[in-house]
Order: sequence, then structure tokens, then C-alpha cells
Amino acid sequence: MTVNNNNNNNSSNADSSNNNKLFSLKKWNAVAMWSWDVVSDTCAICRVILMDACLRCQADNKQDDCVAVWGECNHSFHNCCMSLWVQQNNRCPLCQQEWIVQRIGK
Amino acid sequence: MTKITPQFEDYWPSMQQAISKLLHQLDVSKLEWQELFWNVHNVLQWDEKAKDKLQDALHRDVLEFISEAQSTVLSHHDDQSLLKAYVAAWSKFFVQCNYLPLPFAPLMTNPNKSSNTKNTINEENIVRKLMYSSWNENIFSNIKHRLQDSAMKLVHAERNGEAFDTQLVIGVRESFVNLGSNANDKSIYIENFEKAYIESTESFYHSKAAEYLLSYGVQSYMVWADSKLKEESTRGAKYLEPFSLPALNDTCVRVLVTNNKDLILSECLGMIQGNNTNKLNLMFKLLDRIEEGVEPMLNYLEEHIVNQGLADIMASAEIITQDSEKYVEKLLNLFTKYSTLVKEAFNDDPRFLTARDKAFKQVVNDTSVFKLELASRPKMNNGQATKLPPESRCPEMLANFCDMLLRKTPLSRRLTSEEIEIKLKEVLLVLKYVVNKDVFMRYHKAHLTRRLILDSSADNEKEENMVEWLREVGVPADFVNKLARMFQDIKVSEDLNQQFKNSQNGTSEIINIKILNVGAWARGSERVQVSLPLELEDFIPEVEEFYKKKHSGRKLQWYHHMSNGTICFSNQYGRYDLDVTTFQMAVLFTWNERPTDKISFENIRLASELPDAELRRTLWSLVAFPKVKTQIILCDVPLKSMKDFTDTTLFWVNQDFHLIKNGKPQRRGKLNLIGRLQLSTEKSVEEDNEKIVQLRILRTQEAIVKIMKMRKRITNAQLQTELVEILKNMFLPSKKMIKEQIEWLIEQKYMRRDDDNIGVFIYMA
Repeated sequence: MTVNNNNNNNSSNADSSNNNKLFSLKKWNAVAMWSWDVVSDTCAICRVILMDACLRCQADNKQDDCVAVWGECNHSFHNCCMSLWVQQNNRCPLCQQEWIVQRIGK
Repeated sequence: MTKITPQFEDYWPSMQQAISKLLHQLDVSKLEWQELFWNVHNVLQWDEKAKDKLQDALHRDVLEFISEAQSTVLSHHDDQSLLKAYVAAWSKFFVQCNYLPLPFAPLMTNPNKSSNTKNTINEENIVRKLMYSSWNENIFSNIKHRLQDSAMKLVHAERNGEAFDTQLVIGVRESFVNLGSNANDKSIYIENFEKAYIESTESFYHSKAAEYLLSYGVQSYMVWADSKLKEESTRGAKYLEPFSLPALNDTCVRVLVTNNKDLILSECLGMIQGNNTNKLNLMFKLLDRIEEGVEPMLNYLEEHIVNQGLADIMASAEIITQDSEKYVEKLLNLFTKYSTLVKEAFNDDPRFLTARDKAFKQVVNDTSVFKLELASRPKMNNGQATKLPPESRCPEMLANFCDMLLRKTPLSRRLTSEEIEIKLKEVLLVLKYVVNKDVFMRYHKAHLTRRLILDSSADNEKEENMVEWLREVGVPADFVNKLARMFQDIKVSEDLNQQFKNSQNGTSEIINIKILNVGAWARGSERVQVSLPLELEDFIPEVEEFYKKKHSGRKLQWYHHMSNGTICFSNQYGRYDLDVTTFQMAVLFTWNERPTDKISFENIRLASELPDAELRRTLWSLVAFPKVKTQIILCDVPLKSMKDFTDTTLFWVNQDFHLIKNGKPQRRGKLNLIGRLQLSTEKSVEEDNEKIVQLRILRTQEAIVKIMKMRKRITNAQLQTELVEILKNMFLPSKKMIKEQIEWLIEQKYMRRDDDNIGVFIYMA
């Protein structure tokens, strides 16, 4: 609003070169959705979709803290489900390989 | 002690004198009265035979007095004076019956257990009984029918408005009550006096009621009957023993109300139509005295509300189907009107409230004006397509109206915060009657999504209140929680956007990002491909880079059908800011390289990579935007329908585009072209409908299994009832769907039919 004097035919406009164009971008509100980068979207331990918190966290209202975990075998579960699981049996419930955490989502 | 033992004969004369005085109600001095006690005591102490002698003598004297009284009473031949004389004599005698027995109390003490007086307390007083039975035998039993008749005549006269000494009737009643063989025996009274009283009441009103109805009509009859019922209950309290009142009341109600029930009811509908609350209230009070008396009124009310409601809606169908505000307003007027009626006429009686609710439910869920067709393509259920019967569009309209109140709209700007709150509460009231709340939820969620993504909420606090209100009216928790999660998520995203802007320099003015949790917003919803203009494309890696640093294990998907922005359009008239969707942007930017070219539909499609249907919608929104005089884009086909575009249809930028305000062309201005376009892709409506159906099927199966698991064994009818109960806050399952799901569950061996009775199901673990 300040320097602009509406002289559109004049190419020596004070604004950036965008203004020479018929349509120029002023603002963009971009929308994206994130999801866990997983092969199967359901946690095989609690049977809840990984994008939702596991039942335990839903009940405790800790949805935001319920993250996914990936093993070396590339299978993924809720981190809290898996940490309970390994106390009993240190193998992946899906492939029976030894469970080694590859990464934890955040 | 040389004194001779006192003998009965010695004392009797003086006693007799006192007794006679008492009976005749002459003055008895204190001394005489005390002497009587003393004498009685003395005689009984010393003379063994005195007890019998005394009783005999007393009896003789009483009889003598009674026969005197008898002759005075019976000397009157005229019934009326007979009654008067009798009641006069009786009331004297009645008083004496309380005094005379006192000195003779020792007569009753049983010498064998003289110390133990407790037992004798409740025993009949011998003297009083002697007096009563003598009176009964000698006077009353002979003339009781005459007395009773004249008493009834008096009551009759009183009903006709004549005044008289009420004591006359009361005296007769007392005689009947007291002259029973013992104090607890009221049979003489019941069989004679009460019976006569009730019968005369009935015959009196039997003829009167008919007469009154004939000459004054039903409406005044109701007033009359009501006042008569009250009058008779006061009169009954005066003339009858308290225990007779229910019987009297029953008779009055029968003769005044029950016998004329049909005539009274025939006025009911007219009164409801005329909103005649006072008279309806009277009718309600009258008919409520009869068992099941108000049932027909309930039916009239329900029927009327339904007819009126549907007629109202039918009459303004055109406006209502287009304008959700008008529709909700119409419904609310109807509700308010009849809720007031039920309150004023029927004191909010629960039975009438139920009838009202049933009627509202029918109006709200009626499908004659507008329907919503829900169908699902065969997907999950052994290949068969599920088509549901049409449903009312009411829930959709309600959701639309909520959106108008919660979004920044002319409506929400016009109303105060309190007014908006009231209106939202009203919507929830209507929602209570909506059978298929899941449809409302779907639309509500879609609207909320749009408001949050476009930042177009009028009031964030109200948005969050609404979520709690929905919870309060019984919307299932999993749905409400999902809405709450959207609010949480959008806040997380706002923080992220701030961090992103801080990390950038220069571009931060232009771009805002929303990165949302797919679980909370749009699970499974289809994304639409688009080739972004370079200006936008450049941002993508920047954002992805930034996001990767913040989070790990996450993948991002761009939802360009949700994103939007502002562009500046410059031409010879001025510079205009346009709010557009990203699709509109992609299309418009095609002309940046060749501002004056005419570009074919096909070429725009190649440039934007939008699917055919989306491109049509997007172009249509640019060539035929309803709110402006001059369109931004022009084309070479007549503007009838977006279906008329062909591959060769040409489009070009309208260089004469300008905004007009107050009749003057503006050099500057802002125009929002997004409208309803955002977030609803061509396919999504159909998909949403399908999703509703799928969800219903799942919910039904889930509920059946839940019930079966609990009951193990259940009849078909019971299962249906429990199913409807469980699902009532979401939707009303159709009979057909229930049947299909049961069949499916049987096939899947979740349950089976009983071998002996196919109407019974058995759960199979």
C-alpha cells in the first residue's frame, strides 16, 4: 500500500518483478497431512490404527505422546505397546526376529 | 361400724332423680353429680346384686326417657318436621350419651381383674351401648327410612340452591354411624345412608348433566362439571364420613365425566387447533380423573402437531430447502408453539410431553419435502449393494445452519454472542429429535474442517463450547473426541507454522503451513493431483526439509484441495486481491505466460493436470461466479452448465474485469472466490455418503455382537429393541439392514438360530 502508485503499464514498478505479471502470489496457505511412514497402518499388538493413540493412551488422554516405533525388521507398532511386549518376549510379534529398535517416531 | 350395709334400694331414689335430670338436660348441681358417683360406688361395693339391679333400673329409666322422646318425635307426621324434631331430640340424647356413662364406670370393671384396667379401656361402654341400642330399637329403627329420605331431600334442595340447617343431615348421619352394634361397625351407615346419598347424587346429576349439555353445549358443560365436582367433594366432606369420599368421588366422576366422555372429546381437536389452552386445561383436568381418559387427547395432540408441522413445511418447501436458517426457524416456531401449549394446557404432564416429542420426531425426520439418498456400492458385504431408504435432509440443514452461526458470515456478524449461543442451543434441541444423528455429525465435521482450515471461525471459544454441548446432548464420545482432537491438532500446527516462519527469511510473509494429523482430519480421503505453479512448487521442498528436521518417521502428503491463498490481479482498471483455492490458482496462473491468449479446456487440463471433473468445477467458479457483475475468465460457450465445456472450449482472461461498489468502479478491492468449492471434491460427497452407510453397517454388526455376547440367547424382537437402544444416538437402523447384518453374522458363525425356534438367536463364541 505504501509505494505502489498503480501504474501497471510502467515496468519500472518499485515492487518485485512478480507485479508485472497478470496474477501474482500474495499469500499461500498450504495444507499437508502427516502420518507415520509405515508399511501396515495397524498396530498388531493393540489392533488400533497407528495414527490413533493406542487404547492405553486414549484412556489416559495422552494421545499426543503416543508415537510409533520401527524395528530392524521394518515392522512398526505403538511405542508403548511394544515396550510392554518386549518385557515378555524380545521378538517382533510379526516375524519373530529379535527386536531391535531402528527408530522411534517423534 | 354399726351402720347397716347400704342397700341398692336405699340409694336408688336419689340416684334416679339425678339421672332423670341428666337425661332431660336440666341443671345438675356439682354436689348432685358427685353424689351420683359416690352412690354408684357405694352400692356396688356393698350390695352384691347391685350391679344387675343398677343396670336394670338404669335401663328402665332410659327407656322411659326414650319413650317420652319417641312420642314427641313421632307426633310429627310431616317428614320435614319429623326430621327436625328427631335431630333435636337426638342431639340432646347424643350429648347425654357422653355424660351419663361416666358415673357408672365402675359397672364395667370386672371384679376378678380389677387391678388390670388396661384391658377394659377399649371395651365397649356398657351404659352408652345400652343407651344407643335402646334409642335404636325404640325410635330410630322405626323411622330411619323416613329420616333418611327427608335428609336426602334436603341435600337435593341444597343442590338446587336452597339453604337449610346442615345440622339436620349431619344428625341423621351421626345416628346411622353411632347406632351400629359396635363402634367399629359402620355397616348400617354404609348400607343405608351412604348408599342413599350416593344414589341420590348419581340420579340428580344424571338428569342434570344431560339437561345442561343440551342447553349450554360442551364447552360450558366442562366448566359446570368441573365446578360441580368440586362442590360435591366439599358437600361430601360435610355430610359423609371421610371414608365414603372415594366412593362418592367415583360416582360423581362417572356420571359427570365418563358418561359424557365422547362428547367432551369431540371438542378436543378444535381446541388444540384454536390454541385454546384454558379450555384444554379444563378438559385435561376432567378427563384425567378417568383411567385412560387422556389417551385420546394425546392422540389428537400428536396428530395435530404432525399435520400442522408437515403442512407448514410443505407450504414453504421452496424457501426451506434452500435456506437452512428459514428451515430451522420454521421448526423452532413449531416447537415453541406446541411446547407452550403443552405447558399451559397440560401443565407439562409427562404423557403430553411424550406425545409432543413423538410428533416432533416425525416432523423432523419426514422425507416428503426433501430426501437424502444414501447408498453404498457393493464393497464389504458379500457383494450385495446396500441401499437405504431415503432420509430427511434435516440433519444436513441443521449442520449448515450451525456453520452459518459459527463461521464469519453476515448472519454471525449481525447477531450478538448471546444470540448465537441461543440459536446454537436451539439447533441442538432440534437435533434431539433427529433420528440419524450420524448424518449431522458428518456435515458438522466437514464444516468444522473447512472453518479451521480457512481460519474462518467467527469465535473460537464458541467453537469449543459447541463441542461440549454436543457431548451433553448425547452425541457419541468417539465422535466428539474426534472434533476435540481437531482443535488440539490445529493448535499444534499453528505452533509449527510459527517455528517454520522463524526459521525462514524473506518467504515467511507469503507462506503459511498447516501440517495436520491425518488420523484426526481426513483418514482415507482422496487426494487430487494438481500441477502447482512454480511460485508454489518452490515452497514444497523448503517445508519438507524443515519438517524432517523437526520430526522423524513421518511422511507428508500435500492436500492441495484444502490449501488456498490470495493472489493479486492487475489490469488497466486497478489491482484486485482475490482469495482463491490452490486449484483456481493453478488454473489462473496458466495465463501469466500468455496474458491475452485464448486457451482451450484441453490445454488448461494439460497445464494444471487437474482431473476433468475438478477442472470443470474450478473453471465454472471462475466464469460464473454468482456475486460479481464481471467475471474474471470468459469463455466461448453459453453459461448454462459446466457440463457444456468441451476440450475445445476456449477460455481467456477478462481484461475488463473490475469490482464495483456503490455503482462506482473500484481501483482496489478484495474478492473471495473460494465459496463452497474448498474441501469438497466432486467425488467426496458420494464417498461421504458411502462412508456413512459403511459405518452404519459396522456399527450395527458391532452392536449385535455386543448384545449377543451379553445375552447369549435372545429373541429376534428383543434383539431389535436393544439394538435400536444402543444405536439411538447415531442412527435408526432399518429393519432390512438389521436383517442383512444378522444373516451375515450367522454366515460368519458369530451366532446361529435356535434349532427349535428360528425366532431365537444364540451367540457362538
